[in-house]
Amino acid sequence: MNIFLILMALSAGAYFIAVLEGWTVHRRFSLSRPLYSALAFFGRESVLTRKNDLVFFEAGPVLLLVAGVLAAAVIPLAPGLIITDLATGALFLNAALAYVLVALIMAGWGPDGAYAMIGGWRFLGQFIAYAMLIVMPITAVAMRAESLSTTVIVESQEQLWNVFYQPIGFVLFFVAALGLAWLPPLDLPTAAGDLAGGVEAEYTGARLAVLRLARMVIILVMAGATVTFYFGGWLSPGFAASLPDWAWSGIKILIVTAVMLTAGRHVPRVREARYLAVSWKLGISLALSNIFLVGVIALVVPI
Amino acid sequence: MAALPQYAILLALTLGTVGFVFTLYGLARVIGRSRAEPGKDVPATAGTLARDPVWVRYHAKYYGYALLFLAFDMEMAFMYPWSVVYREEGLVALLDMGVFLAILFLGLAYGWSQGALRRQ
Repeated sequence: MNIFLILMALSAGAYFIAVLEGWTVHRRFSLSRPLYSALAFFGRESVLTRKNDLVFFEAGPVLLLVAGVLAAAVIPLAPGLIITDLATGALFLNAALAYVLVALIMAGWGPDGAYAMIGGWRFLGQFIAYAMLIVMPITAVAMRAESLSTTVIVESQEQLWNVFYQPIGFVLFFVAALGLAWLPPLDLPTAAGDLAGGVEAEYTGARLAVLRLARMVIILVMAGATVTFYFGGWLSPGFAASLPDWAWSGIKILIVTAVMLTAGRHVPRVREARYLAVSWKLGISLALSNIFLVGVIALVVPI
Repeated sequence: MAALPQYAILLALTLGTVGFVFTLYGLARVIGRSRAEPGKDVPATAGTLARDPVWVRYHAKYYGYALLFLAFDMEMAFMYPWSVVYREEGLVALLDMGVFLAILFLGLAYGWSQGALRRQ
């Protein structure tokens, strides 16, 4: 039952993202357009390139979708409304999301196209930039909650949300989440405008539909993780507590998704070298000081 | 719930997702197959085949970062169990990890001073 509900929530969220993305890109708000576009994908031809690595080419989008769905399995929407409440939930999220890199490199290598290949390798550089900034802020969150279970992490924020408790960690995690979901300004592997679609360049028809769906699931999961770790998950923000728990999760996740999709739209794309330099020189230093700060606060203040 | 049934659910979820994708592909296949036409299978390089082969070795220009990344990633493997017992252990845990992190941070600073933190 939980599995069904959460998968339904995932598809509703993916639909919402499609509507929102159409709105931000084409400046046209239409509820029916995503349905027509999705249907059109199945009518289009699914072309294979001349020389291809069929296993990698086919596995790329599927692996991306599997990684997204597995990561969604540890994100709670309400008390008890979670697919698997693993004791190592926060770690499992990292493990599942590591496959995003593998999937994108496979998708880049598979079709033997120059643009796709460059997009895939770029994402490897991007991974080295964002990966530590995903795991280090999560450590600080786990220090406060004394657990890696995502439900315990949400419950630990009863008195004060982590976004106020460890704002540095939140900013680092949010920017790294943009990098993981390759959203602008960190959309190096697809890079509309300079790579002709990058890893998406050779995908057409049904395969492209799966790739796009997987990307939406990844964005949703990153928004869900941000809400779980920093915005108190299903906890109501004090006022107007009449809504049910799952509604709060839904509202928060949708707001964070909307911010993720629109935040970087007007910022120029960051070059890989610059992204690596900033995240290792500034990001890692801030993340280590965040761990230290949270460590001191957690020992002094009992909340 | 015990750990093993949970992992069984995750495995079922993986298989279910793969099955879902195969269903979608089957649906697309039923709607119609792609026609074999000359030139359609050329990769997106302005309509011509690329001059240079694509499957070759590339210079990983960020290898300095990549090596540091390995060290930091291993360190995170220690950080996760530490973070769970942190409040229980108190000041001892802070000092223990503080020394460890200080050494690691010195390593980062040394690498930085030697020019590891730039695209080679």
